[in-house]
Amino acid sequence: MHLSVLVGVYAILGLSLNLVVGYSGLLSLAHAAFYGVGAYGSAILMKDFGFSFLSAVVLSVLITMAVGVLIGLVLSKFDGDYYALASLGFSVIAFGVFLNWRDLTNGAFGIFGIPKPEIFGYKFLAGEPYAFLVLLAVIFTFLICYFVVNSSFGRVLKAIREDEKALQVFGYKTTLYKLAVFVISAGLAGFAGTLYGSYISFIDPGGFDDLVSVNLIVVVILGGLASLNGSLLGAAFFVLLPELLRFVGMPDSITGQMRQMIYGLGLIALMMYRPQGILGKFRL
Amino acid sequence: MIKRSAAPLYLFEYMFDIFPQLVVNSLIAGSIYALLAVSFNFIFSATRFFNLAHGSFAVIAAYAVFYFGRELGLPTFLAVGIGVLFAATSAILIDRFIFHPLKMRGGSPMILLVASLGVFTVINSIISMIFGSSFKTISNTIDKQYFELFGAAFTSVQLWIFILSLVVSIGFFIILEKTIFGKVVAAVSDDEEVSKIVGIDTDKVMAKVFFIGGGIAGLGGILAGFDTGVQPSLDMFFLLKAVIAAIIGGIGNPYGALLGAYLIGFLENFGIWVIPSEWKDTIAFVLLIVFLIFRPSGILKRK
Amino acid sequence: MIALEVKKMKKNFGGVKAVDGLSLKFEKGQITSLIGPNGAGKSTMVNLMTAMYPPDAGKMIVHGVTLEKWKSYNMPTYGVTRTFQDVRLFEQMSVLDNVLVVLTERGVFRSLFETHGELHLKQAEEILKRVDLWKKRDEKAEDLSYGQRKLLEIGRAVAMDADIYFFDEPFAGLFKEMVKTVVSILHELKNNGKTILLIEHNMDLIRELSDHVIVVDAGKFFAEGEASDVLARKDVVEAYLGE
Repeated sequence: MHLSVLVGVYAILGLSLNLVVGYSGLLSLAHAAFYGVGAYGSAILMKDFGFSFLSAVVLSVLITMAVGVLIGLVLSKFDGDYYALASLGFSVIAFGVFLNWRDLTNGAFGIFGIPKPEIFGYKFLAGEPYAFLVLLAVIFTFLICYFVVNSSFGRVLKAIREDEKALQVFGYKTTLYKLAVFVISAGLAGFAGTLYGSYISFIDPGGFDDLVSVNLIVVVILGGLASLNGSLLGAAFFVLLPELLRFVGMPDSITGQMRQMIYGLGLIALMMYRPQGILGKFRL
Repeated sequence: MIKRSAAPLYLFEYMFDIFPQLVVNSLIAGSIYALLAVSFNFIFSATRFFNLAHGSFAVIAAYAVFYFGRELGLPTFLAVGIGVLFAATSAILIDRFIFHPLKMRGGSPMILLVASLGVFTVINSIISMIFGSSFKTISNTIDKQYFELFGAAFTSVQLWIFILSLVVSIGFFIILEKTIFGKVVAAVSDDEEVSKIVGIDTDKVMAKVFFIGGGIAGLGGILAGFDTGVQPSLDMFFLLKAVIAAIIGGIGNPYGALLGAYLIGFLENFGIWVIPSEWKDTIAFVLLIVFLIFRPSGILKRK
Repeated sequence: MIALEVKKMKKNFGGVKAVDGLSLKFEKGQITSLIGPNGAGKSTMVNLMTAMYPPDAGKMIVHGVTLEKWKSYNMPTYGVTRTFQDVRLFEQMSVLDNVLVVLTERGVFRSLFETHGELHLKQAEEILKRVDLWKKRDEKAEDLSYGQRKLLEIGRAVAMDADIYFFDEPFAGLFKEMVKTVVSILHELKNNGKTILLIEHNMDLIRELSDHVIVVDAGKFFAEGEASDVLARKDVVEAYLGE
């Protein structure tokens, strides 16, 4: 049950990031920033301001999207390597904010006791109820992504990925599209953050640093670029791999790093032999 | 009780007092960043993609020094030499087995960047598994002497950092400008295809570039380790400082990387005058973003 | 009537004067050919006119309106579209998608909630059938043969239903049947009153198609006139041979 919730959270993160990386061809390393803003946002709204879960989630997602607009505006001016770099920079800046704006985020100590969701009087405790909630969230996210990807908007994203400058000649203000998909993706990541925070009931800056962004990129690329199913696969792999390692006898202390190593090797192998990822439909 | 009217004077005196210390701190930071940035720029000019594993070379060297110097007890200069060698060798092997083959398969710069991300992840996890993720000091075996100059304090280790960085940088620039190897690298950086046509063995040149670049980065990591210790997560820290310095100073220009490095060193250390010190690392990023928006080519022009 | 005019365009690439004070005029409803040796600045001119990069100097006059600056995404507003000398398709997308993407709604919100999907599909079908690529509509652009790729690019341009077309070496590397197809497309466009700028090296095609020929060399204007006159001129032939 616990694992399925984590898989669900990572699925939402992977699906949303795939919109930007897989479909639009923008290597964004900023995703953890939005994951964090969402998590901190809802945690603070619920604990310090007494918002109910639903309104905290909605408000938090809106806040995350607003941050997404700001960061997206800057990022839309770049592409390729510089995009990756600048987005990484934002991830680090966001981490700095989580860590240092102590009045708001409690800094390195994190935020304890984030309440579980209570929707229409029903409290979603850990275990089956929460897993069900997350499942709904994943379906919701999947539907949104599916809709975006298969619309004319989605087609434009793919064309931006292929040849942005050529596409502009045909009348497209590509910067707006890049911004739009980035904001949608950011909002969904924030959504994942709210679900995560309420589940674990404790968050700290370390859960949203630049390495998390890197892990998310691995999830997306491994599962498959421009494949929604691929992101589900990638998320499942990512969460379940340490369990698998534990099962075959690896000591607890290194399962996390073992997973990192396997993922790193997997990434290299993929770039060599299958750059689109396992289920992917597009190469970088 | 300090009277309001006296406050500005007090502040002025305070600033005057810590000014030399800030300069010293800036120079030390700049020295470390310089090695990281110059080596990054060197490799980038030749290969044309952002190698996100650059900081990993530095960390490999630092941990090698930790192992050989502290764990095995070898003399410091030997450990440093081994460390630099470890970094240089890792770099050349990674290029030989990963980057080069990918380029041959027609990999786009993005594919190479993602592959380097994989390399970064692997090295980070291996080091964490072997040495653990906690913070370690590596300079135990060095006798620390304290100096003072114009009211600024620094240790002998820090003096070494400054001197070594300067010597290596100067040596590097001499090689770049005055030797045939330097000109060959410049040619390959300018146009790999044409260089091949003219008969330059670009593969060999690339290998050497990685070896030297990796080695210099390694030295940067070692010096940083001597100053403040090591931790696996420093790989990202080193990478980011290197890249930001190289871009701000002027990507493609080796002197630009040097300039950018010291600029960041100074801005970071003087910046905490005006803003709280915990935001120190954020300064470099904000600078990066500002430059990327208004002057993405950096201060100095590409050579 | 002049459909499009550019005045005193200049473009330097690192010390090389690709375009040096070149002024051109294109008559509405005519096919004007732009010829000249390699490196004369022909493609550069088209790139400048479509804002692939900004000129160092120069103005553009579209339908009587003078522009000091122009952006590539405004090309449809000026009624301009183009093909590329080095064939820039959306490689990993299907043939059908390559055409559909220029037919669908331009606005961000409107493209999310497309209302004319069926109409666009029918339009794409018409165009792909015209260039004989409808059967290959689900194949990826990168998997097509060179000739088919060129035809797809032309189809994409035609789909724009523009007033002014810039074709940059559309015939290069095409087999006879494909050349016929493209020639007939150009004739059709002209009969519909469209203005065409054609960059081409094939002299027979130039003679056959052009109403007007402009010769450029080293980024500067060299000569202009009717195809038969211009191509017979000694100095023009020499400029070409001496490249």
